[in-house]
Amino acid sequence: MAQTVLQLIIGGLAMGFIYALVSIEYTIIWNASGLLNFSHERLILLGAYLFGAQFVVRNGISNPIAVVLMLICTFFIGVLISYVLMRPLRNLPLVFSVTGTIMLGRIITEGVRLIWGNNPIPLVGWLEGTIKAGELVINRTYIIIIIVAAVLVAALQIFLNKTKVGTAMRCVSQNKKAAAFMGIDVDRSSAITMGISAVICGIIGILIIPLFQLKGDMTGMIGIKGFAAGVVGGFGYIPGGIVGGILIGVLESLSTLVVPGIYKDIVSFILLIVFLLVRPSGILGHKA
Amino acid sequence: MLKVENIDVYYGKVQALYDVCFEVGENEIVSIIGSNGAGKSTLMKTIMGVNKPAKGTIEFNGEQIGSVKTNLIVGKRLVYIPEGREVFPKMSVKDNLVMGAYSRKYSSAEMNRKLEEMFEIYPRLKERQSQLAGSMSGGEQQMLAIARGLMSEPKMVMYDEPSLGLSPLIVDEMFETIVKVKQTMKIPVVIVEQNAFMAMSISDRTYILENGHMKGSGASKELMDSPEIKKAYLGG
Repeated sequence: MAQTVLQLIIGGLAMGFIYALVSIEYTIIWNASGLLNFSHERLILLGAYLFGAQFVVRNGISNPIAVVLMLICTFFIGVLISYVLMRPLRNLPLVFSVTGTIMLGRIITEGVRLIWGNNPIPLVGWLEGTIKAGELVINRTYIIIIIVAAVLVAALQIFLNKTKVGTAMRCVSQNKKAAAFMGIDVDRSSAITMGISAVICGIIGILIIPLFQLKGDMTGMIGIKGFAAGVVGGFGYIPGGIVGGILIGVLESLSTLVVPGIYKDIVSFILLIVFLLVRPSGILGHKA
Repeated sequence: MLKVENIDVYYGKVQALYDVCFEVGENEIVSIIGSNGAGKSTLMKTIMGVNKPAKGTIEFNGEQIGSVKTNLIVGKRLVYIPEGREVFPKMSVKDNLVMGAYSRKYSSAEMNRKLEEMFEIYPRLKERQSQLAGSMSGGEQQMLAIARGLMSEPKMVMYDEPSLGLSPLIVDEMFETIVKVKQTMKIPVVIVEQNAFMAMSISDRTYILENGHMKGSGASKELMDSPEIKKAYLGG
C-alpha cells in the first residue's frame, strides 16, 4: 500500500510539474501581452511532432541534436506568432485574440495531420524505462519530467530576475506604457516572451511523448488543467502556477485510490470550481 | 532643442491636434497649459512616438523623430515623465531607478554614482530603496517617476502633470525640485500642467493649448498679467 501511494505521488508530481509548466507559460504570455493563448496545446503538439516525427523519424537525426533543433524552431515560431498574430490583435477587445489563437490552434492541428499523418508514430526508447530503488519501481519518465521541469522553472526565474532581457520582460508585464518610456522595445520584448513560451511548449511536448505517445490527441486535457492550476494557485503569478499544478497533479493521481481511474480528470475541474467559488485569488492569494 | 511644426494627430477618425507648432530652446523651461482634454498629453505622446503625426514634423537635437519608435527616441536621451507616475509597482524603488537607465550602458560604478545623485535630490527614495514602488504614497511615486527619468542623464526632460493628485504642500516641493534639477543639469524642461499658476510661475515661456489648437504663447510673466489668461486659467 505504502509503495503504491509513493508511486502515485511520484507520478502525480510529474504530471503536476507538466501542469505547472503549462500554467507558467499561460502566465508569462498573460503578463507580457494581456492575451490568453488558446493555441498552446497545439504548440505542445507541434513541438513533439517537430522533434519526434520530423527530426528523429524522418531525418534520422540523433535525439540530443533533434531536441536542440526543435527548441530553435519553436522559438522562432513563437516570435512569428507574436508579430503576425498577437501584435495586431493586442489593441482589440480580448475576444479577437482568443478567437485568433483558437484558429491558430486549428491550423496547427490540421497542419500536423497533413504533414505527418493521422496515425500514432512510435518513438522507441525515448525517455522510457524504469528505475528501481529497493522495492520501489519508478517510471524513468516521471523522474526525468520532474528534474527537467524543476531546472526549467529555476532557470526561468533566474532569467526573469537577473538578466537585462528578463528584467525588460518584467517591466513590460507590469507597465507597458512606462516600459516604452524607459527605452525598452515593447514589441521585441513581447516577441521574445512568446518565443520562450513556445519553447516551454516544445519541452512539454517532448516530455509527454512517453506518457501519451506521439499522436494527434496526445495533449489531451493538459492545456485546460494547466489553466486550472493557475487559478488554483493564483493566476498571473508564477509561484502560484507551480503550487497549483503540483497540487492538482498529486491529488489527481491519488484519487485513483478511491475512485476508478477513468474519473481522475474530474479532480482538476472540481478544484477549479471550488476555488473560483471560495477563494478566487488562489492558494497564494496573490492579487493580479 | 525641440521643434514641432504644424502637426495634425488623429485617434482613429477623431482629430486631437490641429496644426500645432511648439518649440523649446536650449536651457529654458517651457510650460504648456490647457484644460482637461485640450490635447496636452496627446502632444507629449506624439513627441515621444506613441502617436504618429498625420502631418507635420518633429525635430529633436537636429534629428527628425516624427516616425521614430518610442524606445529609440528615449535612446536619443529625450525623457518623458508620464502622467500618473506609471512606476513599476512590483519592483523595488532601486530596481525602478535602475530601469530608468535601461537605454544607457552604465558600468556598476557609474550606476551607483547616478543612484547616489538621485538619492541626494530625493532623500526619501534612499530610505525606501528596497520597498516595492506600488506601496508608496502618490507623492513618493511621483518623486520616483522623476528620479527614474533623470537616471539616463537626459538632454531634455518633459514632465506630464507632475502635480496631478498631490497635496498642495507636496506640489510646492515638487516644483521646487524640478527647478533645482533644471539648474544643476542645465537642460531644457517642458512642463505640461492643469495647475497653470504653478507651471507659469516657474517657466520662462508658456503655450496655451485649447481643443487641439495652440491658442497662443508668450513669456510666462507677461501672460500671467494678461486679464484674459487670468480669467480663463488662473481663477480671477
